[in-house]
Amino acid sequence: MAQATLTPAQHRRRRLPDLVFQMGLPLALLLVVLFFAWSSPAFLVPSNLESVLVNNFTLLAIVSIAMTLAVASGGIDLSVGTALDFASLLFVSLIAAGQPFGIALLAGLLGGLGAGLFNAFLIVGLGITPFLATLGTLFIGRSVQQLTTGGGIPIYLSKAKVPEAATFLAHGDILGIATPLWVVTILIVLFTVLLRATPFGRRVTAIGVQPAVAWYSGLPVRRDLVLVYLLSALVVAVAGLMLSATVNAYVPSSGNAFLLNAIGATFIGTTLDRRGRPNVPGTVLGVLLLAVVANGLLLIGWNFYWQQVGTGVLIFLVLVASFASRRWRKAG
Amino acid sequence: MSMVVEQAGGERADLRRLGTLALRAGSLLAFVAVLVFFSATAPFFLSFFNFTNVIAQSAILAILAFGMTVVIIGGGGNVVTGGIDLSVAANLGLCAAVYASLIQAGQGDAVAILATLLTGLTVGATNAFAVVAVGILPLLATLAVMNVAAGLELVLTENTVLSASTPFLMAINNIGPLGVPNLAWILLVVAVALILLVQFTPMGLRLQAVGEHREAARAAGLPVARYVAATYLVSGLFAALGAILSVAYLSGSSTGSAELLLGVVVTALLGVVFSRRLVPTVGGTLLAALFIGFLGNGFQLLNISSYWVSGVQGALILLVVAATSVLRRKES
Repeated sequence: MAQATLTPAQHRRRRLPDLVFQMGLPLALLLVVLFFAWSSPAFLVPSNLESVLVNNFTLLAIVSIAMTLAVASGGIDLSVGTALDFASLLFVSLIAAGQPFGIALLAGLLGGLGAGLFNAFLIVGLGITPFLATLGTLFIGRSVQQLTTGGGIPIYLSKAKVPEAATFLAHGDILGIATPLWVVTILIVLFTVLLRATPFGRRVTAIGVQPAVAWYSGLPVRRDLVLVYLLSALVVAVAGLMLSATVNAYVPSSGNAFLLNAIGATFIGTTLDRRGRPNVPGTVLGVLLLAVVANGLLLIGWNFYWQQVGTGVLIFLVLVASFASRRWRKAG
Repeated sequence: MSMVVEQAGGERADLRRLGTLALRAGSLLAFVAVLVFFSATAPFFLSFFNFTNVIAQSAILAILAFGMTVVIIGGGGNVVTGGIDLSVAANLGLCAAVYASLIQAGQGDAVAILATLLTGLTVGATNAFAVVAVGILPLLATLAVMNVAAGLELVLTENTVLSASTPFLMAINNIGPLGVPNLAWILLVVAVALILLVQFTPMGLRLQAVGEHREAARAAGLPVARYVAATYLVSGLFAALGAILSVAYLSGSSTGSAELLLGVVVTALLGVVFSRRLVPTVGGTLLAALFIGFLGNGFQLLNISSYWVSGVQGALILLVVAATSVLRRKES
């Protein structure tokens, strides 16, 4: 409900919190970087920054892009871990069975897609809310993995069996920049454009904001939602392949570790948008914030346990700051 | 307006009532059928000892799910924007760590109980502050708090099991009156008290009003914010209570309490089908917790691999939710 006219004073009053709200995340990121640069000489050096990006950022960023897509469509995908694990399971078992890299890669992507297809069937076909549908997928996925691995025994690849292409995917570089960074950058650009600048992206946003209106306007809501959950699973499957290539193994149910941080990053990212909508650049900044804090706390000597507390408190504070200013803005 | 709709859709409403009845009767029938099936096939299933034992083993899950149920009742059923408390399991872990470390430090049970309850309430109060005062989405706020609580637990326990054994804890774990384990008695007493409080007192009815239609409740002059805040405090308190039982049951803190979260969510959601109007109720949650408990127990006795359990739980949620959503769709 926009007011027809605003006095200049009202304008000013409104714009300040608006700005605080939108700039909260970049500002927090900047402060955190400055703080760690000041407190640890090992932080602001190229090798450490690359390690932050490759080790802390890449996989979570990819999973979070998928989450952003689902949340933008008004849903959520709690089964990102399942798609990741399925991709990893198929990829690693086929490599272990002596199949060529290309076949294993394809099978991995299809495995992830399978989880997405199941979600799409539940959400679009049966009309189950995304939260519950993907929760069900998560549970069933866990059973499937336990049954196929004798209760959760990891599959390791011996050094001799790891194809060169897999090593390149995880540890190689193109033009001096690590391959994982290329992959994540391409996905970020692709999905930023997809959500922001294509008819599909605008339809997804419309469905997320006003599903009923989108339906009455004749938008292909069902088809688009199917696409959203398939795409989400496919993107996550890429993360699954990269994880298996990095550790040369499939570890059952390892994908769930990303779930909560991906949700956190996505919702922290919504603060970057003027209307509080999920958006890929915001999500990426959110993941970056989490990655920098995890790395920085380690460098200044916090052990793993205190890191978790520190990260949690920081997320909490960012949320409080941005939601408080959102509320202030509404009241102003 | 709603009256007109009701008159026009009288027949439909009848149909829907019939469907609801069928679902509710169906879910109770399914419960009974499962019990009969296990009684006929599983050795020792139908014995006093086994029955009371399952009830005792369900106590911790059920009590956490009670807290979750109260939050959902007060916050509304929409899982993303409504009430949900993702921090319950981590809160239990933290509370159990507090209890066990105080016992290890040579404090008595009274001090440990007090500190545990205070810890649980503090976590609940943090949730209440974030959700009610700041206006953060419950899903998000409790997610952040969950991370902090899990981190603090790790700091206290350094990811080890702190054993704790006192006469008080052993008494909780003993067989009580009528040969029924004390844990089962505690569960029944807590359940009855909470059912009376939520279902049969003016305060409980107001709480339901707040959850079902917040604007209407506000217009009717109810202190909505206070009720919603109270639900998170209750949830925190129940996490602390669950922690005391958990310390007694496991003779110490446990490192895997975060694993409980999804089971708690499933139990609270599954409870919906055991209520007359398909809304979250304490009684429904109790039945759901027992249902899940008996299911796991029967599987164990039949020597069916435990790997199936989470898959069956997942399928169960989907079945239930699909049935409810079909009924809801008929209504609109």
